[in-house]
Amino acid sequence: MLELKWIDVYYGNIQALWDVSLSVKEGEVIVIVGSNGAGKSTILRTISGMNKIKKGSIEFGGQRIDLLRADEIVRLGVSMVPEGRELFPRLSVRENLELGAAYIDRAYSRRTETLQWIYSLFPILHERGSQLAGTLSGGEQQMVAIGRALMSRPRLLMFDEPSLGLAPLMVDEVFKTVTKVSQEGVTILLVEQNVRQSLKMAHRAYVLENGRMVTKQSIDVDPEKCILCGECVEICPVSAIDMTVNGQPENPGRDLGRRVSRKSQ
Amino acid sequence: MVDWASLLQSLANGILIAGLYAAVTLGLTLVLGVMGIVNFAHGELIMLGAYSSFWLFTLLGIDPLLSLALSGVLLFFIGTGIYRFTIWPIMKDPPLNQLLLTLGLSIFFQNLAMILWKTDSRTIITSYSGMSLDLGIIHFGLTRMITFLISVVLTVLLVVFLSKTKPGRAMQAVSENNTASWLIGINVEKTYLLAFGVAAALAGAAGALVSTVMYTFPMVGFKLSLKAFCILVIGGLGNIPGTLFGSLILGITESFVGTYIPEGSGWAEGISFVLLIVILIIKPTGLAGTRRE
Repeated sequence: MLELKWIDVYYGNIQALWDVSLSVKEGEVIVIVGSNGAGKSTILRTISGMNKIKKGSIEFGGQRIDLLRADEIVRLGVSMVPEGRELFPRLSVRENLELGAAYIDRAYSRRTETLQWIYSLFPILHERGSQLAGTLSGGEQQMVAIGRALMSRPRLLMFDEPSLGLAPLMVDEVFKTVTKVSQEGVTILLVEQNVRQSLKMAHRAYVLENGRMVTKQSIDVDPEKCILCGECVEICPVSAIDMTVNGQPENPGRDLGRRVSRKSQ
Repeated sequence: MVDWASLLQSLANGILIAGLYAAVTLGLTLVLGVMGIVNFAHGELIMLGAYSSFWLFTLLGIDPLLSLALSGVLLFFIGTGIYRFTIWPIMKDPPLNQLLLTLGLSIFFQNLAMILWKTDSRTIITSYSGMSLDLGIIHFGLTRMITFLISVVLTVLLVVFLSKTKPGRAMQAVSENNTASWLIGINVEKTYLLAFGVAAALAGAAGALVSTVMYTFPMVGFKLSLKAFCILVIGGLGNIPGTLFGSLILGITESFVGTYIPEGSGWAEGISFVLLIVILIIKPTGLAGTRRE
């Protein structure tokens, strides 16, 4: 469904991605993990058309999209829940949601039905319908951002760090939602620093480090094993990078062996 | 003893001129709100509108109140051209570059006008120029009354456009958050183009109004844009209700200064700077508005 081939991306003169390739198949949940500044968000911004590639190609549904503008890419069915949520703070929750469908013809004709579906996913948004989006809590704002992206009736929905800055309970809630959305038949591409939780729901994962894919192929990770057993430290690329577990920065690659061995004593 | 007739007359004059000031400032507000650019060349777009109205009247005999729409359309195209060839290439650059660019455009158009049309002050004398309306104790110049009413119509049209039409709502969305606007399928660059064009069209229409009640000369836009900046600061940057409020404050203050201060009509012209300085010191977010994020 989505195919990135050997893309290079620059911010001005500074290169942010080197030879990044990845593929997402219909119905999958794919996670890109990596530390701060590895370029995860850049990948999503590039797919959605906010950044341009210098080299390589991006195909969606068999069509090259790397030369399209961001608004054209959304119309093809690729939506993003951006980092920091990016709501319209002085518009109401309902207006924010409605705007998600307003500029996409195929979504506009089904907007009432989609809105009902979103209210069933997030009943709280129905209650808060007339409240200004800027006055909601972080978790509720995240729901509005997800709802707004769903209003465009995406085939592929990308999440950029949806758990960032949320309380642990809210984080669980957000991940449950991602699973629910996936069960509705929407393909998911997720970028996260919260490795443990995101890997639980993922079919496959990619690991990004300093703008490069650590492995050429995606990895089928069992998160329990990967983080807890310590057996795979040598071979598992996830453990080779810094990551955040339960809000605490951890470097399993460095610490895991010690911690596991202490446990076993 | 208060002279109620002169007080009311002064208030009414202030409100009438405020209508024109609002028409002059709306385009500036729109560009600032949607694109985040302080367009120093806005006054020169008004000047071009005033000249187009003047020439249409002088050469073809078209009444300024009819040629208003023509000036608007003409300036829409000039505005979109200016955006596409000068502002669009530097939209991603720091705001200072955009500020300097529009300042440069302003100087360019002032000098172009001096070369093409000399520095003479020109006026339009229509058949109804000298007429006035008497309402008991106060009376209005007919031309001022008409410019006021047209300004009200322009404001209402702009508000309806922004709140009811698809491109208008896109402008509001872009002014709130342009990243989010891209992500919901709005072509933000096209929205900028349209916003700049609409602002220029408003300037063209305002220019036609200006040509009926003031002198038309190459610096007329500069003079008006200084007042418009004062209005922006009074009203809080980039919102329409604030602009209307700011116009009223400035119009009425000028009118009162003209009436009640000895030699006041000279001072009235300068009062906008006093207001500007005082407000920047005591309440820099504007009397009516809040600071934009």
